[in-house]
Amino acid sequence: MSPQYPVCRAIEPDLLSVAAGEAGAAAVGRVESHVAICGACREELGHYRALEGMMGTLRRAPLPDDDATLARAQLASRLADLRSRMVGFGIFPSPLGRILIGRSEQGVALVQYLPAGGSLPAHVQRLLGEDAVEDRAATEGLRAELVEYLEGRRARLDWPLDLRRMRSDFQRRVLEATAALPYGAVTSYAGIAARIGAPSAVRPVAQALRWNPLPIVIPCHRVIGTSGALTGYAGRRVELKQRLLAVEGVKTVAAARHDFKVDRDAMYTMVTGDREYCVPTCGSLPSQSMSTLTLFGTREGAEAAGFAPCTSCRPDLHPLPA
Amino acid sequence: MGRVMAEDAFEAVVGAHHAEIRRYLLRITARGSDADDLSQETFLRAFRAYRALPPGSNVRAWLFTIATNLGRNHFRAQGRRRRAYAAAALEMRPDAPDRADGQVLAGETRERLERVITGLPAKQRLAFIMRKMHELEYSEIGASLSCSEESARAHVFQALRKVRRGLDGHLPIGMESRS
Repeated sequence: MSPQYPVCRAIEPDLLSVAAGEAGAAAVGRVESHVAICGACREELGHYRALEGMMGTLRRAPLPDDDATLARAQLASRLADLRSRMVGFGIFPSPLGRILIGRSEQGVALVQYLPAGGSLPAHVQRLLGEDAVEDRAATEGLRAELVEYLEGRRARLDWPLDLRRMRSDFQRRVLEATAALPYGAVTSYAGIAARIGAPSAVRPVAQALRWNPLPIVIPCHRVIGTSGALTGYAGRRVELKQRLLAVEGVKTVAAARHDFKVDRDAMYTMVTGDREYCVPTCGSLPSQSMSTLTLFGTREGAEAAGFAPCTSCRPDLHPLPA
Repeated sequence: MGRVMAEDAFEAVVGAHHAEIRRYLLRITARGSDADDLSQETFLRAFRAYRALPPGSNVRAWLFTIATNLGRNHFRAQGRRRRAYAAAALEMRPDAPDRADGQVLAGETRERLERVITGLPAKQRLAFIMRKMHELEYSEIGASLSCSEESARAHVFQALRKVRRGLDGHLPIGMESRS
């Protein structure tokens, strides 16, 4: 039974508002004066008021199937799963250029060098995954510590790590062995291969380090070629490796094809697994393969890592020229 | 290490709104299992976007927007089935009018009312349920349906007219308008 006259059609929105109790004073006035003279609309208003009453009853009535317990429990478990996968990341300037730091609930999941500008490179997006969100606040503390580290004011990044982005168990073993290298030390790819019990896997070790999702934190810059050449870092950015080593007191000299070289003769040297460090000329050290050695740029570095001066060559009494 | 995400805040959001959002989805899908799935999806999406939400935002209205979008996608997928069901339901013969006494709606009237609401066009139905069942503001309904506040109001009014027509003969006449 819709209103028949234009005036009734015009009043209808006001009538609905009045019935719903949401009309302003002006609309209430218009409706009051209209229904005073229009019986059809008065009846219509009654119907709409009744309908509003029914809606109120329906709103308060219990719903069948209104039990959220199961959905709530499933949601809690899915949220927990999402949270553990989710990475919050920040992008920061640093002494080594733009750096991305990402962390999940489990720990720091990503440190990546970024090109100077533009969008994130595809491999970084892949590492971040679908559920990554920019969250500078969550990574600000990490950024501050990383900058201290890069400026030589901090020797340790004691961060809990999320290692779920490892490509394989082999890579995990390589990176764990690399993470154990002390500050200021270098060893060779062959040395890491030997440590994980796969002495012939030198190239796979280099590949595993190439895809290190956590450079700097897992110090792949401390792993060099057996010739002493730095060989590679972060794609073609071996100069970053040189700078990181310089911060730790490891001196390098320029070598061929934009590379740098660690001068073995200028490094405190120890056989991997020993407890004492030596000058590089001690005993049979000069003839030993780099794959069995760990080198330190400074005595302080070796001693901070818990090693004692050799009792034969006495590097404490006869240090290398600075 | 401190917690990465604003988790506790989001726990509070789930606690405050999940039951209502599920009830909304139950009203628009009429199936408990759909309401379970879509309510979970609503909060998973909300969690992903939560930190980007400006402080002081109307979280409840924002959740209704997410739920409404998921509901509409769900209808699109299920459209044919739902329309067939609604058409069949509307063909059922009404019985004698019942009296709504303000406390309990007699079963027949309630069924008829729900059937009429189910048969409404999607936007009108969603706007109507958001307004009449969840008492959202027209501006919030507009945001949920990506339309203006005025369009939201128009959707609700259109729905009201249709519901009123659909209930003709079932509405008590005893409630006169007295001003």
